[in-house]
This record gives sequence, structure tokens and C-alpha cells, in this order.
Amino acid sequence: MRITGFRSEVYLMKADRAVGDANLPEGVDLLPGSILYLETDENITGISLGFGGSSVKALFPAIEGADPRETVGLWTRLNDWVHKAGNEGEANYALSAIDIALWDLKAKIADEPLWRTLGAREGRVKAYASGLDYCLSDEELFAFYRRMAELGVDSGKLKVGLDLKADLRRLAIMRDALSIASPRPNLMIDSNEYWSPKQAVRYIRQMEEKFDLTWVEEPARRWDYDGLRLVSKQVAAAVATAENINSIADVYPLIANEAVDVLNVSALHSGVTGCRQIANMARAFDLPVSMMNCQANFMAQVAAALPNHNMMEVVDPGREHCLKFASRIEDGHIILGDAPGFGIEIDEAKLAELKAHPPVGKGRFPFPRREGAGRYIVPPAPGEVPWRRGR
Amino acid sequence: MKVTAIETSLIRCGRDLHCVAELRTDSELVGVAVGREDVRALLGQITDAVLLGEDPRAVTGLWQRMFDARRKSDHGGLVNAAISMLDVALWDLKAKANAEPLWKTLGGSRPRINVHASGFDPSGSDDSLFDWYRSLAKRFGFRGGKLKVGFDQEADLRRLGLMQQALAECNPEAELMIDADECWSPKEAIRKVREMEERFDLTWVEEPARRWDFLGHKRVSNGIRSAVCAGESLDTLGDFLPHFHERSLDIVQVGTWHGGITGALQLADAAFGFELPVMLCASPGNMHAHLGAAMPYCMSMEVVDPVPVGGVFATDVRIEEGWAVAGDRPGNGLVIDHEALAKAAIAGSPASRGP
Repeated sequence: MRITGFRSEVYLMKADRAVGDANLPEGVDLLPGSILYLETDENITGISLGFGGSSVKALFPAIEGADPRETVGLWTRLNDWVHKAGNEGEANYALSAIDIALWDLKAKIADEPLWRTLGAREGRVKAYASGLDYCLSDEELFAFYRRMAELGVDSGKLKVGLDLKADLRRLAIMRDALSIASPRPNLMIDSNEYWSPKQAVRYIRQMEEKFDLTWVEEPARRWDYDGLRLVSKQVAAAVATAENINSIADVYPLIANEAVDVLNVSALHSGVTGCRQIANMARAFDLPVSMMNCQANFMAQVAAALPNHNMMEVVDPGREHCLKFASRIEDGHIILGDAPGFGIEIDEAKLAELKAHPPVGKGRFPFPRREGAGRYIVPPAPGEVPWRRGR
Repeated sequence: MKVTAIETSLIRCGRDLHCVAELRTDSELVGVAVGREDVRALLGQITDAVLLGEDPRAVTGLWQRMFDARRKSDHGGLVNAAISMLDVALWDLKAKANAEPLWKTLGGSRPRINVHASGFDPSGSDDSLFDWYRSLAKRFGFRGGKLKVGFDQEADLRRLGLMQQALAECNPEAELMIDADECWSPKEAIRKVREMEERFDLTWVEEPARRWDFLGHKRVSNGIRSAVCAGESLDTLGDFLPHFHERSLDIVQVGTWHGGITGALQLADAAFGFELPVMLCASPGNMHAHLGAAMPYCMSMEVVDPVPVGGVFATDVRIEEGWAVAGDRPGNGLVIDHEALAKAAIAGSPASRGP
């Protein structure tokens, strides 16, 4: 089998609800979508969701005519192909999208779900609920985590960082909502790099007086291994990070300097191949990895086969307008079906409709950083978020 | 597809006693692994406890189950060696189920692995040493050779010269490596290697200190020019943590006994994260060439026997012009000659297990 061509689609979708964090607490509901199709001479098409934009064109000659089953070899070839100019930024996302589509093809050729191709015994991954919820009212916050708890999810991650009093109140709301799934739910927080390391320590220590936190995510800048290590040493919770770094090379300083306790991984950022590399390196240091959220939870196919995966982030803002898939959440786990590859099909009619009539809503591309970050806290203005009422 | 039984036999291949394992399924496919002889009883026990009735395509999940099943008692030493062999047989089945060579199942592009000749005969005469390296260089194009050293510095210097000369007849720039097999203290290693380095440019020095001694390895690496290469005597990925943390190795040795193919690939990925090249150790039928295809930073593969000795199994890995190239035969390419096996099998063998 040979790779013969590719096609990519870029579109806009409007989520069923807004998502927001410390950097953009009012949230957005307009999200970018993209799909990469890798075509073969045997009428099987590999699909990747996300980031398959224009840079694919520059990389495609490296894989044209190749056997798509040679995923790992082609990953190396793609990285070597862009060696001098760099495999970062746009090139990295395109490379990762190609890698995902190649693994989709490899599994489809073997007529099995990707989790099986990767050697997993079950298509089943423990989930944690993540509201991306700074833009939700207290009532909406409770409703989200309660809905997840009703599916058996016993862990939740709250967006925090701008208002300690509100964050403490909302942590209790999240815990109460999850308490029907477990008397002692796992509670996590995520400040998305808004704090300086010592700000993080002060803030988290005050939270830890009232809550047992499983992990705190991105309490310092993505590359700041000294700052991340400082936080890890000074709080009881584990430090999770790495969602904004892409390759194993970027993970190296974090691991070598004991700056990370849980590694956030994503196939969209590292490809399936790179994701597995990072997990294996983390495993040498007995560090768990956690898969990032994504449309239709498709990356659970990869998480299922990682030996040190703890739980995968699940959000349900409604991003699957033009996707057909069979995975579901049950007993607190993402249950993957037996459909070949990633188990995702594209509803071409819906996609065409979205492209013909782009939705209108709140969107920010790219996603910004908030004023004061790393220096001083700028709390939400009245009316900026539903839980801070206007006068 | 389900695992139904395992059959094991003991054979003598040249110097070594090997165990041949055949993992049977409810299909016509059989998973093959060749490994050390002393794990034989464990292969049956672990198969019975974990693998019977399981789909071999779930190999990484089963790998985890095998180790988890032995967590408390022990999962190192012989248990690790047995699990490793079973993992190899499972991957063989996974590849055969796809009717593709193992290197492709692992996601590799066709392997073309650099190889080095490794003489295992330190007690042989100078003449036989010279002839061995020369014939390997001539017949198979080896561009590098590794010599066992350690007990007699004068002889080692002389024999290094002979190896160089023998290889140089084909490749004037042949790479030279030495292997002390943990027989030195770190300072002894530094003294001896420095003296060798006055006359020879050594690519690497293998196991110049005890396997666990990351401080010693680091000390040696800091004290000599050549790279320090080790790891073959450790069990699994976790044992490498101090070496990675202290960056005490310059080249990481990898073999299927590091937790099977699943474990070897984990180790190679971890090494890659530290920008450390990996060196594949010698293997029956040079089967490790399949793994090299799926390792991002594979430097060289050790070859002791360019073609399998003993006639019990054939391989699909050819050594030519200084490279190992794996073929297209489905699975890991090891094929058992059952007639030869029946003749070579050592008393008490074969033993069958399973329902």
C-alpha cells in the first residue's frame, strides 16, 4: 500500500457552551477545526483531527509513495526532512497530524482499532472531568461535574488563578458534584501559566489547607524547570505540565531537573509516535502521563496503550458537529469501540454546511495570555464572568 | 486469535544452550522466540497464569499483566528473562497476524542497521582472532569490531592491533571497540583505556564498571576520550533510572531481555529523550535488526554469528556490506526446523504445556 495524496479541511465550529481559563475567563465558543485526509492507492483513507493546516503541503513529499504502515520510520523521516528549519510551530503540528493519520491508516489496514494495533488489551481509559470552566456560573459548574459524576467520573479539574476566594468556593462545588461518584474525588486545579512560581506556592498552600489536591497544572511557565521544581518541592500536590511543549526534546529538561510529577501529553502536539516516546521516557522515571482533551476523545486510542497513563481529560463542550464516532463514557472510563483506526468518520455533508455557513460567536485566535500574568493578579472585572456579577 | 499452549525445547547452538519457545494459538500461527535455557519452567508457568485464552495482538497490555502478576515475588532476573521471551513470541504472532515482517509491525521502515563484529573468544590464539575478523570483514563487509579485553594489557594492546589490521584489509577506517565485561574498577578502566587510546581511536568502551555503578561509569566517561557503553546486564527500564539521571552512559545497550520487545522499545525511546544513541546487543538469528528499524537513534548492532549456527532455526536477517537487513518473511523471521530440533533437543525435551 502506498500514500498517494492528501486533502485538508479547515473550518469553524460553535461549541454548545463556552470554555475559558485564567487567561481568558470570559471564554470562547467559536473553535477552529481541521481535518487531514491521507489517501492511499487502496481506497483506505487515514484521518487526523486538528492542526492539519497548510503546512502539510511542505511535508508531504517526504511521505509520498511510502507504505503508511511504516509509521515510526516515517516519523523519523519527517523530522529529518525539516531538520534545519526546525520541527517546531506550524511544522510540528502538521507533522503530528500526518503521524496521527498514518497510525489511523496502519490500524485500518490491519482492520482493528488503533488501541489494539498499539498492543493494548482493552479499549478502555480512565477519565477525569475538566470543565474549562472559568466562564461557567457556579450553577453551571455544578451541573457539569454532576453530569460527569453520573457517568461514574470521580475526578475533576478546575480552572483557577484569578480569585482565591471564588476558587475555594468553586473547588467545594466541584467536590460536592463529584461526591456521588466517590466519597473522595480526585481534585485538580489548572492555572494555565498565569502565576509566578512563588505566587503559585502561596495560592496552592492556602487551597491545600482545605482540599487534598491531586495535581496542580502549569503552576509556572512551560519551560521554567527551576520554577516548576520549586513549586513541586513547596506544595503537597503533584505538578502537572507539558501540554504546551511538543517533543521529547522539550520534555528532557523537565524530567532531568525533577520539575514535573505528571506529564500532560497530546498526540495533536507530538503525534502518536512522539506521544509514546514521551510516555516511555517518563516511565523510566516512574512518572505518569495524562492525555489531553480532544474532539470525540479520539486520543484515548493512544492512551489505552501507554503503560503509565493515569487518566485522560474529558470536556464536553460539543465539538463533534461533523464527526461520527462510537466511543462513550461509562463507569468513569472512556470506552472505545472496535471500529478500525481511531474510529472516527467525517460527516461530509455537515462539514460542507459548516464551511458554507461559518457560525458566528465568541472566538479568539490565537488564544491570548492575560494581563498581569507572572507578576500580579488581575481579577475578573464585574460582568467578565458569570460568578462575578456586574454592579 | 487466542493463545492455547506453549512448547519449549532445549538445544545447543555453538557455545550456548538455548531454549526454543513456540507459542501456539487456535489459528495455524505459532509465535517463536529463542532465549536462554534456564527460563524454561517459568515460560510454562507464566503462560498458564496470564496468556492462555488471550489475544496475542494485545501484546503491550499482556506485557503489563505478566509483570503485574509477578510484582510482589519478583519480576527481575529469570522472571524478567521469561517474560521477555514470551513478549518476543507475542510480537511474532502480532506480526504474523498482519502477514507482515516484525519491523513493519513495529512501524519501522526497512531496517538497514549498522553492524559490528564481536568476537566472543578471548582465549583463542592471535591467529584465530586475526582470521575471524578478517573473514567477517571480507565476507560481510564489517566496518567495526569489538574485542574482549581486561586481564592482560599487553595482550589486549597486541590483539587490538591485530583486529585493526584484520578489519583494515577491507575498511582502512574500521571502528574499534573494547568490552571489559565489568572486570575493571573505574580507575583501572581509566588507566588501561587511556593507555590504549594513545595508540588506538576507540569508538566505545563497554561495561568498564559494574552494571549498577552509575558513579563509576560517569567517572570513566569523564576520564577517557571514547564513549562509555553499558546496560546489557540490567533487567528493565527502571534499572536505568540512575544512569539516565546522572547521564553516566554515552551509549545505551538494548536487547530483548530488557522486558522483551515492548521493554526494549521503551528503553530506546527513553534513551532518545536524552539524545543517547542505542546499541543493539547480539541476538539469536540477529533478530534484533527488526527492532532497530523502530528505534529513532540506533547506532549499531552487535553480531557474533552472521548466520545462525546449529541448524535448528533459520533467520530472515542478512548481514551484507556491513549492514543488517531484515527481509519480508512474516513475523520475526525465525523459523524452526522441526526435524533438526528433534535431533538437537536435549533429553527431557520437548515439554508441552497448556490445555
